[in-house]
Amino acid sequence: MQQELTTEETIEGVAKIIIDELKLEDVTPQTFDPDLDLIDEVGVDSMDLATVALVLQDEYGVSIDEDDYPKLKSLRLIAEYVLAHAPVKS
Amino acid sequence: MKTVSSLLDSHWYERYKRISQLNIRSSIYDVTNRCNLRCKGCFFFSSGEDKVAREETDPNKWAAFVDEEKERGVNLAILIGGEPTLCFDRIEAFYRRMPTYCATNGLIKVPRDRFPDMMVGISLWGDEDDEKRLRGKNTFRISSSNYEGDPHTYYLYTITPNQMGRTEKIIRKIRDAGLKVHMQLLSNDEAVDGFSWRQEELDDLRAEMDEMLDSYPDTVISSKYYHHVITTGKMLGREFGWRECPSVTEPLDNRDPKPRRLIHFIRWASDLETVHRCCTSATRDCSTCKDGAAHMSWIMVNKRAHMRSAEDLQNWIEVYEMFAKLYQFLPW
Repeated sequence: MQQELTTEETIEGVAKIIIDELKLEDVTPQTFDPDLDLIDEVGVDSMDLATVALVLQDEYGVSIDEDDYPKLKSLRLIAEYVLAHAPVKS
Repeated sequence: MKTVSSLLDSHWYERYKRISQLNIRSSIYDVTNRCNLRCKGCFFFSSGEDKVAREETDPNKWAAFVDEEKERGVNLAILIGGEPTLCFDRIEAFYRRMPTYCATNGLIKVPRDRFPDMMVGISLWGDEDDEKRLRGKNTFRISSSNYEGDPHTYYLYTITPNQMGRTEKIIRKIRDAGLKVHMQLLSNDEAVDGFSWRQEELDDLRAEMDEMLDSYPDTVISSKYYHHVITTGKMLGREFGWRECPSVTEPLDNRDPKPRRLIHFIRWASDLETVHRCCTSATRDCSTCKDGAAHMSWIMVNKRAHMRSAEDLQNWIEVYEMFAKLYQFLPW
């Protein structure tokens, strides 16, 4: 049986995806504040979120509804969304 | 990592937050293939776009179509033509359902009892001489009479090389009519003699546009950064063109690498099925395109690229605010 991911592990995984996909500089998955507002502070827009969503789908098997983008304002909220919507592993 | 609040003081940060909440998703609609003018340089007719589709005439089909567009996530309808005011029932299908902007030559007055707060953008191609030369009549006399003092109307002044040094007279007339003005540049699709831009003219024009903004800040809706980008075709060291344009119809966009673009943007023909390549003529050389909305959008979709410095981000904010004002997401 595969071990379930923790919130902290998922936050770090999402951080890595966002840093890689959006080519963010001067930040690592470890130093990325999980509660930093991605829209108001990092300048992430809906096209960025669409790009990230595709990779999250590949990585975690989670399909993110476009209507949910406005809710995904921080790493923590994205990680919680991923964990809540991830397919159950057997 | 650079963050917005590390770049901006509290005044600019508040301005940023006001627009960061807006999630504008526009598409463009040809309301009709007909027009009551035939202007030299109008891309719609010069590139035969009036012939690519038969107009849908059933108002119920227009209404159902707009419902589908809303479902698709569109929250700003930009109506162009032909001349949209020839078909008020089609305009109404949009206006009843979502924020709507109607481009017009201003010869027919939009009835305000039917469309009380719809934003109207009146096209203007210059002073009396140029209007007669390019459009066959002086439309300003009629349009300014139709819309005098209307708070939901502005002039979209397409500046030609022939207008160099003469923009102030027009802007004063617009001010005196109690209206606003936004400026863009002619792309000269029909190669009218003397109406193609030379770079030295564009440099002078940029200074003139800046001067108009400084002199008439309550009338001119613009930003100096927009003037820079539209007159140079450059933004942050990148050149405008097919590889960069954000206003390409999404289902036809097979560019690789994929540039930053307007999400879900489509330009629809009036049969409600055919789509056009982009917000303007598919026959236009993108490297010479001077379309104002395309350049504004180019800046707007590149927000994070403008997070290099406080000045860059402030420039981005001013352009976004300008766009939001022109489409009534922010007050004048």
